[in-house]
Amino acid sequence: MRIIFSVILLSLWGTQMTAQTRLSLQNMDDFRDQAGNWQIVGTVSMNPNVDIHSKPAPPPLIEEKKKKKKKKQNVQAPPTPPAPKAVRFQQGTGILLNMNTEEIKDHLITSWEHGDIELSLEVMIPRGSNSGIYLQGRYEVQLLDSWGVKNPKFSDIGGIYRNWEETPGNIFRGKAPASNPAKAPGLWQKIHLLFRAPTFDEAGNKITNAKFDFVDLNGVRIHNNVEVPLPTGGPIENNEVAMGPLMIQGDHGPVAFKNVEYTLLSNLDASVSDLTYKAYKGSFGSIEDFLSSEPTYQGSSDKINCLVTYEENNYGLTYKGKLHIKETNTYEFTFAYTGGGVFSLDGERLVDYQSGDAYRFDKATKTLEAGVYPFTIHNFKTAGWRPPRLGLYLKTKNTHASQFHAYESFPRNADMVSPIYVDAGASPKLLRAFLDFEGDRNRRITHNIGVASPSGINYAFDLGRGNLVCGWRGRFVDATPMWFERGDGSFRPRGAVQFTFLNQPLAHLSNENEPFPTRAIDYTPGGYQISETDGLPTFMYTYKGVAVSSAIQPDGDGKYLTHSLKIENPDSTLSLYYKLAEGEDIQQVEKGLYRIVGKEYFIELDKKYAAVIREQGEVQELMVPISSELTYKFMW
Amino acid sequence: MKRIYFQLIGLSLLLSIPVLSLGQESDPTPTEEQYYRISTVPIPEGINLEVGGVTSLPDGSLAVCVRRGDVWIIENPTLQDGRNAEFKLFASGLHEPLGILYKEGSLYISQRGELTKLTDTNGDRIADKYETVYAWPISGHYHEYSFGPKLAPDGGLFVSGNVAFGDEEWWRGESRVPWRGWITKIYEDGTLEPWATGMRSPAGMGMVDGELFYTDNQGDWVGSGGVWHVKKGVFTGHPAGLTWTGEENSPVQVSTEELYERVGPRKKKVNGRYVKPENVLNEDQPDFLYQVKKDIPELVLPAVWLPHGVLGISNSEIVVIKDENTFGPFQDQLLVGDQGQSKIMRVVLEKVNGEYQGVAFDFIGGFQSGVMRMDWGMGNNLFVGETNRGWGSAGTTNAGLQFVSWTGQTPFEMHTVSAKPDGFEITFTKPVDKKLAEDLDSYSGRSYIYKYHPVYGSPPVNMEDIIFKGVKVAEDGMSVRLVVENMRQYHLHEIYVLGLRSAEAKERLLHPAAYYTLNNIPKGKKLELSSLSTKRAGAGLKKKVEVAKPTKKEVVKPADKKGSQASTSKKVTDSTKKEVAMAEREAPTYAEIEGMLVRNACTACHKQNKRVVGPSFQAISKRKYSNERIVELIYRPEPQNWPEYAVPMAAMPQVPRKDALMIAAWINSLRYQ
Repeated sequence: MRIIFSVILLSLWGTQMTAQTRLSLQNMDDFRDQAGNWQIVGTVSMNPNVDIHSKPAPPPLIEEKKKKKKKKQNVQAPPTPPAPKAVRFQQGTGILLNMNTEEIKDHLITSWEHGDIELSLEVMIPRGSNSGIYLQGRYEVQLLDSWGVKNPKFSDIGGIYRNWEETPGNIFRGKAPASNPAKAPGLWQKIHLLFRAPTFDEAGNKITNAKFDFVDLNGVRIHNNVEVPLPTGGPIENNEVAMGPLMIQGDHGPVAFKNVEYTLLSNLDASVSDLTYKAYKGSFGSIEDFLSSEPTYQGSSDKINCLVTYEENNYGLTYKGKLHIKETNTYEFTFAYTGGGVFSLDGERLVDYQSGDAYRFDKATKTLEAGVYPFTIHNFKTAGWRPPRLGLYLKTKNTHASQFHAYESFPRNADMVSPIYVDAGASPKLLRAFLDFEGDRNRRITHNIGVASPSGINYAFDLGRGNLVCGWRGRFVDATPMWFERGDGSFRPRGAVQFTFLNQPLAHLSNENEPFPTRAIDYTPGGYQISETDGLPTFMYTYKGVAVSSAIQPDGDGKYLTHSLKIENPDSTLSLYYKLAEGEDIQQVEKGLYRIVGKEYFIELDKKYAAVIREQGEVQELMVPISSELTYKFMW
Repeated sequence: MKRIYFQLIGLSLLLSIPVLSLGQESDPTPTEEQYYRISTVPIPEGINLEVGGVTSLPDGSLAVCVRRGDVWIIENPTLQDGRNAEFKLFASGLHEPLGILYKEGSLYISQRGELTKLTDTNGDRIADKYETVYAWPISGHYHEYSFGPKLAPDGGLFVSGNVAFGDEEWWRGESRVPWRGWITKIYEDGTLEPWATGMRSPAGMGMVDGELFYTDNQGDWVGSGGVWHVKKGVFTGHPAGLTWTGEENSPVQVSTEELYERVGPRKKKVNGRYVKPENVLNEDQPDFLYQVKKDIPELVLPAVWLPHGVLGISNSEIVVIKDENTFGPFQDQLLVGDQGQSKIMRVVLEKVNGEYQGVAFDFIGGFQSGVMRMDWGMGNNLFVGETNRGWGSAGTTNAGLQFVSWTGQTPFEMHTVSAKPDGFEITFTKPVDKKLAEDLDSYSGRSYIYKYHPVYGSPPVNMEDIIFKGVKVAEDGMSVRLVVENMRQYHLHEIYVLGLRSAEAKERLLHPAAYYTLNNIPKGKKLELSSLSTKRAGAGLKKKVEVAKPTKKEVVKPADKKGSQASTSKKVTDSTKKEVAMAEREAPTYAEIEGMLVRNACTACHKQNKRVVGPSFQAISKRKYSNERIVELIYRPEPQNWPEYAVPMAAMPQVPRKDALMIAAWINSLRYQ
């Protein structure tokens, strides 16, 4: 339970209310004029196998070759069909695309400026390309095709770039991302960050450094409260300012953006005054139980603090005070407490939860005009296992949250425990645990096994349905939910998890429209055999009497998984299909290579297989007939 | 995170207690260590041995599965020649395995969702084949642990499964998918035979003479822990598993509705939210298992109750003492572990009217962590696999492996207690002092029963003192026949033999309390009353202990260790002695309060000088509480005063104030020892 609460707490800092502006990307009106390398397009498709720097024949599908080899081949090779392009696009709107040349390669600069900003966007980078997002035109979050990089540097995607100064005091060496959740080139990747501009005194001296409260890449936190003391390399101007435009690097290769949203933020201008409290000792079931009794202690304080009761448990507490609002706006209160709590503003009860043993973060939204508002807080607790906690936060859509309680009244490590992580060592690590599909407890996979390989690529397999349900790179799993105290039997993959679908993928379909079974039908799990050579498992199961073995092999660079299925005793009376993917839209990048749109991963298989895309209700499915064997790549 | 509360049993008021005064103040109190020694297997740093299962291998090694999913093979676990054991990782990545069995070269393990067969096929002593013998459904609730397997005589493998709990009704066990709350029998060919239901938290199974027994834990519908005999098709009491009795292959027929019609589930909503059912005090006509059984014959009674808070709070594995004379005089008897109290109880079964029933005793406590699993190792050492993570236990370490060895000394114990048509027969491990054994004042006891209701646990109810009418001591002094006036079928009979001593060394019994579950009273000849001793010790052997009301002015000199009566008093003025004197004023002797400690179940959790479930009495004395304060704390414990103890004490308002004051005075007398 504790883990869940700390997540709630995190979300309090981590997310802001949405008052964001969304760039229309219908035209270039949000940006200053540029040389023409930037344009608005409708669709974009990038082939992950084609590097922007090479113009050779397409590399073989399954095995990757080194660049040098390719060049050599190129010289010797006979004439080949037209080379596939790294980037293809179609006219339209909604996507911002850079297609620079040696000559036309301007950076893109917004026509607006920002200070503190919360920014989220999606970016697609072709193989071998490079760009960057400069906050205030000065602090660069790097964009790079960093697919499969194990130990990311400041120069990999998400890295805060360094500068190239040499004078002592002016050097900034950059900051590498905490991990590398990068996806394959040609897939949309999500960036979400909160940046705080440097602040200055009236004389213009810097008081605080620029700072990234957080940067998330593909849902994984890669920077956590990181200050940047100086502009990074290649700024719009080598000084620090309160406001500056957003700048996107355009001279190092193609890059595309969509869903660009931002919120400009400032500090909240509100305060509390005239805080007085009354503390009561006793086991109370509701606030009425102590309101009319004699307080044990009373007094005044600058901040709300539940420790004024001098009790760990069995106390009641009332705070009264005045809230000073400077500007008319919609305000969001977060009232956090252990035990029970009532929060009233200007005579109106906004929160009323009178149980003695809860632990809650109650939110209440209220539109207030500038003015002074009396408020009252009641709190009581009859749960010895919960520490005393009481906090009050306030923010608007365009401000950071302020807190009106003392630090010790709600310490921020309140519910944290030492995490229990599991990783592969020199040999693979296997671990069974419940896995919540896409984090959804209602789609818990009960017969699940996670497999970590030393190459840094991990996956989970649903033993109850014989399905490869997800893959992720980097660290393996957080087993705290399973192994702390009683646990709940589940682990959480660490890193950006690429989920596929929840189904039994192998099925006998009497016609091409019959759906795949959601639950295991005629399916019997057989366990797995560990290979003596590489320590990896081969899963075994039977379906309608045919024995299937299923082996999932990570590639050496930790980029993708190759799934090989064998049917030991093929049965020609069955018309077996294997479901490879499911998504809102499935696009064929080229024959045998498919992008699962929305979920953003590739399925690649030999052209000899007769893969088909079919509509199944709301979604599209990629499936292939299988008689004795099937091999495909799962890339993201 | 949920605290496990140990609950103390209510007790009968004894306003004045006849206590034997043998003039032997220095009477040696025997200790378990003299007879059974616990050794701890040192575990290499970095290995978290939260034991879910232990099993001996034919080569003398031990296989241990742990809750974090690993299986270790431990070579030389008995630390022969003073050499450390060798740990080899045999398998890993299993889903919280809580049971392990060796069979024909493979290890069989219960994971949460399946029975798995682990085999080393290439001879490197590392499993490379993880075969699914049978995968059963689970909903993914944390409480859906699975236990076993146990090997049936026909080669089938018994596996048991915990219930889940409700989302809103978090206190109500429920079976969300087939065979949760059941014991099933799984065969190598991948078939499953539902065996019996009624299980709530069936963490401990054991095979006794080819028959399956299991322990359950106190909880909703389960008044107290106990040991059940599980024949095919029985229903042991928790209704969750009845959800599936309509399935074609269910051997149990009774439906949830049929049970609920007989005993209401007390599903009640107040203000739109379910409320947890609570025990009804002074309930008019509570339901008892035996009554409900008359309407629902598939319902079975536990063969042996293990009274909650006394003989454990979370019972675990059952093992049988092998019939080699290397583990003391208790061959063929059962040992039952307990997780929460970190101890092992001893159980003796007998068949009466065709059904198993029997008696339970304390056996050995003081393990470093919760006793989860047991198996016999080389040299008839009893291996004890331990863990307490998330559950709490008296033993303070998180996990570990220990083994129990017999020292070769025979303890003075009740060997067994058996039911007779008119009372009980107690046999001993050594001859008893006949004079004391013929004295009815050496015996006391009480009987009671538990409710069968949807409430978490049950207080003992219908309590009454056992009236002993006479005793006949065997010629050889190895047994006594007690004739009881008020034998009560279906009730748990507690018998204390505090007055007995061994014939030769005049030892006290190592464990003077027996707990007999009298489901059936055997038919047969009753003893002639004329053949019995009905003697009660005369004035010379008996004194009434009364607690003098302390007066502020009266200050008592510390009792002279050698012989002065505690009641001897003399006014002193020396203030430096005042504190000592205060503490020892009217301090009763151990002999005087022993009966109170046992009856009030204090000794289930506290020992004089040793930390067990709770702090030692001596440690309590060091807190310098006044006697009054100790009494207050008995009635309203403050577990926060003892944060290093995992199991908080339950309030014991039922302890008579006089008893409590005497116990307090005695505790405080220990401060300067």
